[in-house]
Amino acid sequence: MQKTGAQLAMLLVINGLLLVAGGLISSGSFLSIFNLQSMASQVPEIGLLAIGVMLAMCAGNGGIDLSGIALANLSGVLSAVIVSSFLSVTESGAAFSLAFIAGALLVGLAGGVINGLLISRLNITPILCTLGTQMAFMGLAVVVSGGKAVTVGSPALLSSIGNDMVAAVPISFLVFMLVAGVVAALLKFTPYGLWLMLMGTNPKAAVYAGFPRNGVIVATYAISGTLSGLVGVIIAARNVNVKFDYGSSYLLIAILIAVMAGVKPEGGYGRVVCVVLSAVALQLMSSLLNFGGLSNFVRDFAWGLLLLAFLAVGRFDIAGFLSPGRRAQTPSVPVPQAPK
Amino acid sequence: MKSFSKKVLAGTTVAAVALAGSIGVLAAQEKPVIATVVKISGIPWFDRMNTGVEAYQQANPDVVASQSGPATADSAQQLQIVNDLVAKGVNALAVVPMDPAVLEGTFQRAMDRGIVVVTHEADNQMNTLADVEAFDNADYGAALNERLAECMGKEGKWTTFVGSLGSRTHMQWVGAGEENAKKYPGMELVDPNNESFDDANATYEKAKEILRKHPDIKGFQTSAGNDVLGVGRAIDEAGLSGKVCLVGTGLPNPSADLLESGAITAIGFWDPQKAGMAMNAVAKLLLEKKEVTDGMDLGVEGYNKVSVRQGPGKGLLILGNGMVLADKATYKEHLF
Repeated sequence: MQKTGAQLAMLLVINGLLLVAGGLISSGSFLSIFNLQSMASQVPEIGLLAIGVMLAMCAGNGGIDLSGIALANLSGVLSAVIVSSFLSVTESGAAFSLAFIAGALLVGLAGGVINGLLISRLNITPILCTLGTQMAFMGLAVVVSGGKAVTVGSPALLSSIGNDMVAAVPISFLVFMLVAGVVAALLKFTPYGLWLMLMGTNPKAAVYAGFPRNGVIVATYAISGTLSGLVGVIIAARNVNVKFDYGSSYLLIAILIAVMAGVKPEGGYGRVVCVVLSAVALQLMSSLLNFGGLSNFVRDFAWGLLLLAFLAVGRFDIAGFLSPGRRAQTPSVPVPQAPK
Repeated sequence: MKSFSKKVLAGTTVAAVALAGSIGVLAAQEKPVIATVVKISGIPWFDRMNTGVEAYQQANPDVVASQSGPATADSAQQLQIVNDLVAKGVNALAVVPMDPAVLEGTFQRAMDRGIVVVTHEADNQMNTLADVEAFDNADYGAALNERLAECMGKEGKWTTFVGSLGSRTHMQWVGAGEENAKKYPGMELVDPNNESFDDANATYEKAKEILRKHPDIKGFQTSAGNDVLGVGRAIDEAGLSGKVCLVGTGLPNPSADLLESGAITAIGFWDPQKAGMAMNAVAKLLLEKKEVTDGMDLGVEGYNKVSVRQGPGKGLLILGNGMVLADKATYKEHLF
């Protein structure tokens, strides 16, 4: 329970330190409003994928979603190909945007449901199942697009999601925050959230307690898939084009973010706010290194160090001296420990 | 201990908030900054390009030129670097796109901010002010094939390798090669467009298969950088060095042994060092609001008389004559 606070405090400290370091190194330009906006609009893609990974991990029983970015690309590609077959970007921009967004979300949802059904009904280990579907999704995207980039274009609505600001905050970042908030609320206030965490903690007990196991798993992967679909929309909105092999490095980074956020790989615990902060921390760090003109290999090294630091926090009770005040508070999510 | 940590925590948070709140102003750079971004850093091709960027920096102290690139071959990682550089406020970007389509949106935003965008190896890039190519792709493919035909005695079976069927330049090269071979009725193209995926080992296996299937094959024209190594090894092991001709894109250093043994007839390439210098030279010209005109001298070897055309988008397409064909006798002049 104390870990919750420690992880959050640690993430806040890291984010703060990175901002300060960035400001010092770049003599202020790192903290310019334009760079803050630029970084904020880069976070949503990877952040949403990481939330998907977190949900799958929380489900326990080795839960993980490796198909995230492949499904995101498939959503963008498939939706763009289908929608542009009956709607023109130039003539009916608004209708095209809406149809494209709906299409991408539906493809994402469908892909997630497929993952969920395979895992719950056929009892396939999640890592193998999503590895398989990842390849299938990618292959389908190659076939549909012929291996080329598919142009979505920039109709007004899509282009504003990708480029515009509301009160100086990029819209894509607002979407990310909103979705993160909704998922967090879902975990905290609905029976689904309780089932998910308890099932992750002890699957066997959950079954005997009469939890709708299959329903929870399908719902979990369906949410993860829909988030991928949303990532597909954001990629298309920002890059004008979508392609099957975009973001191949995101797969591991999304897992890194989830682990750094203190999500338990064995299931049963994870907080959305930590995932968001951890995604922001990675973004700050990589932008910082780009600002400093350092090699990108240094970035991998720094990420590794960061991950080790977080694992150390999880292992040792730094919570005790970092946040004594927090102990009294009730934790947001009840986390009963499974008898081992 | 407890209170100390608490203070540190509070201190950093306050400092961070204060710094974040005060909107930093971009420090005015005295010298214009030209940032070169490559597909992937740490591979020989782009290490060589880096020497060009460094040489350009030495020769032009009035600008700041540097090179960076992602550690993994992923267009999303390259995109992030470009985004950060735009936010940092560089004056010009010289980019070798991993995937031109993915960068279109960001280039548009960069140009809207008044940043000069120059690209290389992306003659289909829409949002760029100038795309610099070492040569006309059709000329290059034809030149490779001409060298192959010469070695084959203008007759016999030959085949082609491409990195992948989706690789635009590779398809242009073998396409131009096929066009060129039509001049010689004795040349017969068999099983064309084998995909190598730039993997020397896979290419080696594939080439062995082809040598078994067509024992009388006389020539190979390859495209991706590692293809000559794979095919060359297959020819070498079959004891066919000097009997089967192999002409393709490759780098002098890795190909040296096979060139010496005669397994590789000739390699074609352009020097990434010169390409890096040419990109920076064009970026500087555009920063100074000068025009790039047809027949202009960029001051870089191989780019002394560039031909300038209208590109696919609003920008220019600048073609050099930086093509190099090297064989056993001449490769030592270009060791990299």
